[in-house]
Amino acid sequence: MNPMNTAAQPQQRQFNPYTENGGTILAIAGVDFSVIAGDTRQSEGYNIQTRYAPKVFRLTDRAVLAVNGFAADGNMFVKKVKQRLEWYRHAHAKDMPLHAIARLIQTMLYGRRFFPYYVYNILGGIEDDGSGAVYSFDPVGSYERETCRAAGAAQSLVQPFLDNQIYFKNQQPAPGTAHPAHLPLPHVLSLVIDSFTGATERHIEVGDGLEIYVVLAKGRDLSGLEGFAGLQEVSSRSDGERIFVIRRELKKD
Amino acid sequence: MATDGGAYSYSLTVFSPSGKLVQIEHALAAVAGGTTSLGIKASNGIVIATEKKTSSILIDDSMLDKVCVICPNIGIVYSGMGPDFRVLVAKARKSAQAYWKIYGEYPPTRVLTQEIATVMQQATQSGGVRPYGVSLLVAGWDVNRGPSLYQVDPSGSYWAWKASAIGKNMVNAKTFLEKRYNDDISLEDAIHTALLTLKEGFEGQMTEKTIEIGVVTVPTPTEIDAERMAGPNDRPKPTFRKLSEEEVRDYLAL
Amino acid sequence: MSIMEYNGGSVIAMVGKGCVAIGSDLRLGNQALTVATNFEKVFPVTDRIYLGMSGLATDVATLREQFRFRVNMYQIKEERDIEPEAFAHLVSSTLYERRFGPYFIEPVIGGLWKTQGGEYKPYIAAADLIGCLNFAKDFVVAGTASEKLFGVAEGLWEPDLEPEDLFETISQTLMNGVDRDAYSGWGAIIHIVTPDKVVTRTLKGRMD
Repeated sequence: MNPMNTAAQPQQRQFNPYTENGGTILAIAGVDFSVIAGDTRQSEGYNIQTRYAPKVFRLTDRAVLAVNGFAADGNMFVKKVKQRLEWYRHAHAKDMPLHAIARLIQTMLYGRRFFPYYVYNILGGIEDDGSGAVYSFDPVGSYERETCRAAGAAQSLVQPFLDNQIYFKNQQPAPGTAHPAHLPLPHVLSLVIDSFTGATERHIEVGDGLEIYVVLAKGRDLSGLEGFAGLQEVSSRSDGERIFVIRRELKKD
Repeated sequence: MATDGGAYSYSLTVFSPSGKLVQIEHALAAVAGGTTSLGIKASNGIVIATEKKTSSILIDDSMLDKVCVICPNIGIVYSGMGPDFRVLVAKARKSAQAYWKIYGEYPPTRVLTQEIATVMQQATQSGGVRPYGVSLLVAGWDVNRGPSLYQVDPSGSYWAWKASAIGKNMVNAKTFLEKRYNDDISLEDAIHTALLTLKEGFEGQMTEKTIEIGVVTVPTPTEIDAERMAGPNDRPKPTFRKLSEEEVRDYLAL
Repeated sequence: MSIMEYNGGSVIAMVGKGCVAIGSDLRLGNQALTVATNFEKVFPVTDRIYLGMSGLATDVATLREQFRFRVNMYQIKEERDIEPEAFAHLVSSTLYERRFGPYFIEPVIGGLWKTQGGEYKPYIAAADLIGCLNFAKDFVVAGTASEKLFGVAEGLWEPDLEPEDLFETISQTLMNGVDRDAYSGWGAIIHIVTPDKVVTRTLKGRMD
């Protein structure tokens, strides 16, 4: 603008409080287990900010939360959920049940209906009845219990693959048989790994590292997990639900 | 007034009563006066050769090209008028590159020959121009038809040959070739036959300075497949090339 | 509103062992409104080459005729069938002719070419709307469901699939990809090109 021009032009300035930090998360429920996974790349535009920024968090011994979208909001949101769960433990001397955490998350998200946390949440874990569960949320708290869900940058790449491999969409069962409602753990893990290697191959915002949390129902044996490369147990006790994390490398280009 | 063609010799778009376009006949006469060129198709390639004559020893004949590369798989030689040939070479090269731009590969010999023939035919039917005063021998290789040898005349007509000669002495040379030719002649033998044929009507000394030779070599099946799998940055391996003066000297020595 | 998404639709091609598969969905839309459910986007070029086009339907139809014209002229002039690679370049140069006022289509090419040993090798390629070629070794996709197709194909495709297995792979990829795309779907058509025959199958799909 010409500094000599004294007639002021109307100007508009705007602050955009949100950023999209890429990455993808995914969760699949089994009969008595739940798998929650996310890549660890965090980016802003074409710039990789870090190759290790966890998006999947252990909330309790039976609940894991994956958050994807605006990383700052995500981290703050997880912090606040953890705080609410701690208060619950102080008040009730037990961990909050999974379905209650799901409802809590809805309430918390909707509480910010007019300045939302810019994140997609996927909650995975074990219900009180011992079944594996996955809850998925939109940024303002709409939620649903599902068998599987992908979210984030590569949602459009991964979700149709899951439709096909988990829900057996467009597949006809052999005569006299039916498609299984839940898949065994080793199968689920290989689908998760395939999903992420595929997404890494075709999406620039996905890659670097993979963190897969596995929550096993109380009393379930480890079958399918023992000897798994990169496995580490993160349970706080051994007589309840057990949580494991598998850390894998993904391509870094 | 022209002495032989009468009124019909001026406009080339007018037939004479006998059904001839006399300007074309004159062009053929110009070709018949030009230095001899010949081509022989061998079992594993083609040779085209010509005699290079300069009017003065002061001319630097190393700068003169009578056998020309059109694209990596095609070369041509001429008898007749040098300047007309240069124009045709420029047009042929442009046509080959235009083909490459569209199809990502160089034209088959037949297609390029047709393009040249069309250019030459148009000069027999357009106003204000004269026919090209050259005959050409086009030698090339392509996956579809393998090695092929064509002759193009000023009228725009073209034929495929096993062996042919154009220019001065073409009748004698062709008779000579007819005697020497057989279908399973090797490229090496064909080169020698070519030199021998040129020798028949040669005036003066045959040296690497006064002879030009171009050869088509047939790639092996493995080479052909490798060529097709090559990436966009790989240059095509030439199947037509001119022999260097050293190579020509070696052939003459034998 | 993007012109590329005005009519919707998707195409895909995959390499198999000595064969290729190419297919498209069947929807033709006017933005969100479905207008026809039998709009094929894959066309034969020669006995062994198929061309698929996604994008603006009017350009798909125009270019189909344009390529038919150019391939016929080629065959008359050269007295032979065009090879997949030369055809891919023809597609590329035809699109680049309109560099500054492009046809709004993305082509996908699938075909077989004959080696000197007489065996047939698969060839696939795709290009953007101005003809930048992509010679992939595995699969190529285009259209409104391209992201989904990439995701599923990356998970399902494997090297050296026999024709029947390749058919299953491309069908599952296409169907599950377009089912997550509102602009594509309503069934699909698949062509499996093998050295001695082409098998064409029409698939039923979700009608939503």
